[in-house]
Amino acid sequence: MFSYSPLIVLFPLLGFLFLGLAGWRLRSEKLIGIIGSGSVGLSFLVAIMIFVHMLGLPVDQRKQSVELFTWISTFTGTPSSISVSVAYQLDQLSILMTLIVTGVGFLIHVYSIGYMRGDKGFWRFFTYMNLFIFAMLNLVLADNFLLMFLGWEGVGLCSYLLIGFWYDRKFDTGGYEPGKATTSDAAKKAFIVNRIGDFGFLLAMLLIFIHFGSLSFDAVFGRAAVLTPGSSIMVWITLLLFLGATGKSAQIPLFVWLPDAMAGPTPVSALIHAATMVTAGVYMVARCSVLYALAPAAMQIVAVIGALTAIIAATIGLVQNDIKKVLAYSTISQLGYMFLGMGVAAFAAGIFHVLTHAFFKALLFLGSGAVIHALHDEQNIQKMGGLRKYLPTTYWTFVVGAIAIAGIPPFSGFFSKDEILWKTFSSDYGSIPLWFLGVFGAGLTAFYMFRLVSLTFEGEGRYGHDVHPHEAPRTMTIPLIILAFLSVVGGLVGIPESLLGGNAVEHWLGPVFDPAYEKLRLTPHGVEATEYVLMILSVGVAAAGIYGARVVYIRRTELAELWRRKYASLHKLLFNKYYVDEAYDKLVVSPTVKVSDGFLWKGIDVAVIDGAVNGSARLIAMVAQNIRRVQTGIAQQYATVFVGGILVILIWLMFK
Amino acid sequence: MIVIRLEDLLYSAPLLVLTSSGLLALIAEAAGRDKPVISYYTSLIGVITSLILTFLNLGAGVPVFNNMILQGGYAAYCNLIFLSSALLSIVLSRSYLERMQYHRGEFYVLIVFATAGMMLMAAALDLTIVFLGIELMSICLYVLAGFMRKKELANEAALKYFLLGAFATGFLLYGIALIYGTSGTTNLVVISRSFAQLSGNSLFLIGCGMLIVAFSFKIAAVPFHMWAPDVYEGAPTTVTAFMSTGAKAAAFATFVAVFVRVFDIPGTALSSVLALIAAASMIVGNVTAIAQNNVKRMLAYSSIAHTGYMLSGIAAGNAEGEQGILFYLVAYTFMNIGAFGIVSWVEQQEDRKLKFDDYAGFSARQPAVAVLMSVFMFSLAGIPPFAGFFGKYYVFLAAVKADMTWLAIIGVMTSLVSVYYYLRLVVLMYFCEGESDVAAKVPLAAISAVTLAAVLVILLGIYPSLLVDMTKGFFKI
Amino acid sequence: MTLQSFLFYLLAVISVGSALLMVTRRNPVIAALYLILNFFALGGLYLTLHAQFIAFIQILVYAGAIMVLFLFVIMLLNLGDVKQLTERVSYKKIIAAGLSFALLMEMLYIFVYAPSDLPTSRFEQAATIGTVEYIGKQLYTTFLFPFEVASVLLLAAIVGAVILAKRRLN
Repeated sequence: MFSYSPLIVLFPLLGFLFLGLAGWRLRSEKLIGIIGSGSVGLSFLVAIMIFVHMLGLPVDQRKQSVELFTWISTFTGTPSSISVSVAYQLDQLSILMTLIVTGVGFLIHVYSIGYMRGDKGFWRFFTYMNLFIFAMLNLVLADNFLLMFLGWEGVGLCSYLLIGFWYDRKFDTGGYEPGKATTSDAAKKAFIVNRIGDFGFLLAMLLIFIHFGSLSFDAVFGRAAVLTPGSSIMVWITLLLFLGATGKSAQIPLFVWLPDAMAGPTPVSALIHAATMVTAGVYMVARCSVLYALAPAAMQIVAVIGALTAIIAATIGLVQNDIKKVLAYSTISQLGYMFLGMGVAAFAAGIFHVLTHAFFKALLFLGSGAVIHALHDEQNIQKMGGLRKYLPTTYWTFVVGAIAIAGIPPFSGFFSKDEILWKTFSSDYGSIPLWFLGVFGAGLTAFYMFRLVSLTFEGEGRYGHDVHPHEAPRTMTIPLIILAFLSVVGGLVGIPESLLGGNAVEHWLGPVFDPAYEKLRLTPHGVEATEYVLMILSVGVAAAGIYGARVVYIRRTELAELWRRKYASLHKLLFNKYYVDEAYDKLVVSPTVKVSDGFLWKGIDVAVIDGAVNGSARLIAMVAQNIRRVQTGIAQQYATVFVGGILVILIWLMFK
Repeated sequence: MIVIRLEDLLYSAPLLVLTSSGLLALIAEAAGRDKPVISYYTSLIGVITSLILTFLNLGAGVPVFNNMILQGGYAAYCNLIFLSSALLSIVLSRSYLERMQYHRGEFYVLIVFATAGMMLMAAALDLTIVFLGIELMSICLYVLAGFMRKKELANEAALKYFLLGAFATGFLLYGIALIYGTSGTTNLVVISRSFAQLSGNSLFLIGCGMLIVAFSFKIAAVPFHMWAPDVYEGAPTTVTAFMSTGAKAAAFATFVAVFVRVFDIPGTALSSVLALIAAASMIVGNVTAIAQNNVKRMLAYSSIAHTGYMLSGIAAGNAEGEQGILFYLVAYTFMNIGAFGIVSWVEQQEDRKLKFDDYAGFSARQPAVAVLMSVFMFSLAGIPPFAGFFGKYYVFLAAVKADMTWLAIIGVMTSLVSVYYYLRLVVLMYFCEGESDVAAKVPLAAISAVTLAAVLVILLGIYPSLLVDMTKGFFKI
Repeated sequence: MTLQSFLFYLLAVISVGSALLMVTRRNPVIAALYLILNFFALGGLYLTLHAQFIAFIQILVYAGAIMVLFLFVIMLLNLGDVKQLTERVSYKKIIAAGLSFALLMEMLYIFVYAPSDLPTSRFEQAATIGTVEYIGKQLYTTFLFPFEVASVLLLAAIVGAVILAKRRLN
């Protein structure tokens, strides 16, 4: 059964190749849509089959590598030999991620058929999307760092291509040159910021190779399992890996690209910038849990960064007016929770949150897409309102998503978020301040989500009279309904023991993280009364947030305006996202541009490097002209040179 | 004494089938007048059949015909290169020759016979076969180079090639005579057993030096390269493609067979001589290529440069070097034949449309062909993930392992220089305005041949171990 | 000096001398005649090495058949103005001559100072090796395959010659 796993990767690749080569000839959008989503659907089916097969196997047989071919193999037999295969590793973690990627991916592909209808780049869209799925699957299924890096770069490329999909549209990035930016500037920003992270990943990979002599997960983690914590090289490796993760998963300090990534079509935001790609960093940290277990200091940093990101993004989300940007900051904030989980050694809980988040965040984004679609590309929530009666399906599914993300039981978000918070409180690596930040963030989340719901769907319509909102077509609503269903029940697979559940996710993922848990010597916690207290507390905070939002934005709308005036400077600070973009602009971008323009370009590049290059090029050209002169075309002369050559060879042979 | 065993015939079936198809084509040509197509199909079927038989024969090498030639193993691997080169050249030639109005059946017969000569060169276990194989191939090539009889450049090319080739043959025979004189045999297997003792003998060494001279001429290594640009330019473009791939691969195959598989040259003066020739070829080839305006001449100098890269592998003389060359030859065959194939589409009668400038703005009119050409140029420049990169990587690695790091450094530096002239073509195609286009509608067979080459160049760049694994057991006879 | 060495030196001087004369003559007919003399001298050298068969074939095929053809061609071509074939002495020629001379000196050096552990036993066998019978046997047993290859080689050469020389070209 495992040997079928390459098919998972193959179908999207075939879809990409077919659409990429022949897509532009296909007239029928239906056909393109069927091929594009069908390829992902087939992958999903294969993944389910393998998953079911895995369920039937004993725990110790659930992990298996399938090698396709040796990719790079050099220096064989010497100590510095490198051998990297294109091989896929199936285990409890990778199959779970595969199911998320292909399952949610399939739904979003189907949704896109409706959303992208009539776009002149219809085939191009599905081509990129299939390429993205292919790259993402390589990322999660890889059995070595290099192949994972290939997928890592691949998803980055697709993200770039899809953010700039409508490359001619204006889009305000609020960055370097305000007002002039287009979506391709947003794409560039995403790409460049990610490059910084990728650089960290690359360095980490080199260090891993130097330190462990291999790039395959089995070898590296196997060798790491016998080390004792505390060596500084492990701190370096894990921190550099984490730098990579902060790029891809939009954490402090590299989170600035994600809100701008909303320039892409909404299904892209749902799939890439919410459900799958941005969780790659979390997945990577989870995959390397053994390495992190060897560097507790790095784990502390991960936890702190995660918690801070969760809070900061949530506060920004409170005041944004672009529906997709609110969701984007909410994504950053939720990713912060996942990293908080990673940092306090709640690896399984973090991955569980990846799962539930994929459901409700995809749902919310697709819902926002339906709204934007209904209002003809209006994204400002201040110009919405009262859509509830026109878009009933969208409204109800959106509310389900909002409740789920707010953490109200028994919706899925509750179980995963609460698991993280409980571990933050109770784990040897967590602490009460971190827990407090988490709970506070949860309250903020509930508040800004219901601010969003209220402003969008409730109250009076604030859009122009010529706009007649209408419900989206069925290709769009059916995925919404399915995702809403999953957002409700998705958490049931991880009900903790304290609530008489089996905590199936944690048990399922157990074998993957056991080596790390052993290293960390976690003291096991039984069911404790404190857990119930905390649970009730966090639900209470979330409920308060929801209630507060409904009061402020439905019943007493004047309050919002009042507060805005009263705390004008705070509002301004939040509205301008703590001026992070501006700070980066002043501190990094402008100086870099100045240095590169004035010194590197005109000084070093033009004068020194160009001088040297042009000089040597001129020298070579001169030599070339002279050598060319020997080539006269006279055969006798050729023979003379020939004899000269023999002479030299014989002399060399005789006297060497 | 049993002269020929039945197994001998069976093992050498690819060679025999190919030669027979050449004879058949000749007879058909004589019988059915002015129908070159018969000859075309006969030779095509012969090459394809031989290719299939070679695939079946890829197992261990077996000496046949009284230890005269080796069939299977190393020989079979090399045959794949020659036969693919022949196949692609035949397919590309038909439309080209029709357009140039030189379509004649004998053309294919000569290609087939030349290929048979190449197969003998790779298979040779005896110096007599080395000589006969080289001559069989060369004579066919002399004629093919001058096939366009009415063209002055072609006549000049053929005559020059012939004169200098005969000159080189003299040195080859002289070398064989010296080796025979000192070792008492022409059989390579026997010589390999007593190489350690013989290598102290200066006459034997000089004999080997003469072989180096002759082989270097055939692979167009500096300073025996000077015929190459003139001949490559004057010969019909598809013949140039065949010469620069199949013939070069054959000369390398026999070079490797003698100097790597039979002789044990690391540490001897022979190894350093080869390194010198390699370095000179890389430098002269790459530097001179920059000054060219004619695409065919540029490719000729580039072919000299590639000779230098591959020769580094022979100079290294280790198993990695051999594997590297064998991989490189395949990569080089496909990328070069592809590039020449496209040049032959653009070229017009009387040597028009062969300049660099004739490719300006090519991508606007022929986007697909421009992509193919770019693939070949990138691969020739050795940019990953194309096959050319791994070819270079392997031979330079072999040089480093053989303590010839300086050679690898020269290789990398000159590769950098080469990027200039390869990418110049790409830049012209994509970023310059122009009216360039293919000369006439290109037939489907030719398009598929070039596309196949491009696919293989990419495939081998992503998945080099596909071939490298095949060559693992070939080191030493 | 034995008779054998005397014959060797005599024939060697004749062959080198005739070869030099052949390349320096301006009249092609006379040059061709010197070449025939050179072939005869070489044939003689083969004889002193007990290679009777090769010696006779040398004279029959080269001196007899090929050279006659050469002479006919030269006469038919009617080269007329002989001066066309001459070149003036240039620095290129001097370089070429210098290189050739250096190569000659080098070869002499090698042969004089080479370690003389050449296999010597074969000289005694030479008498048997050189016979027609022995060569025939070898050609049709051990070297049968090269012999057959040679036939393909000749065929290819003929085809090539016909293509390049055929008058009609469609």
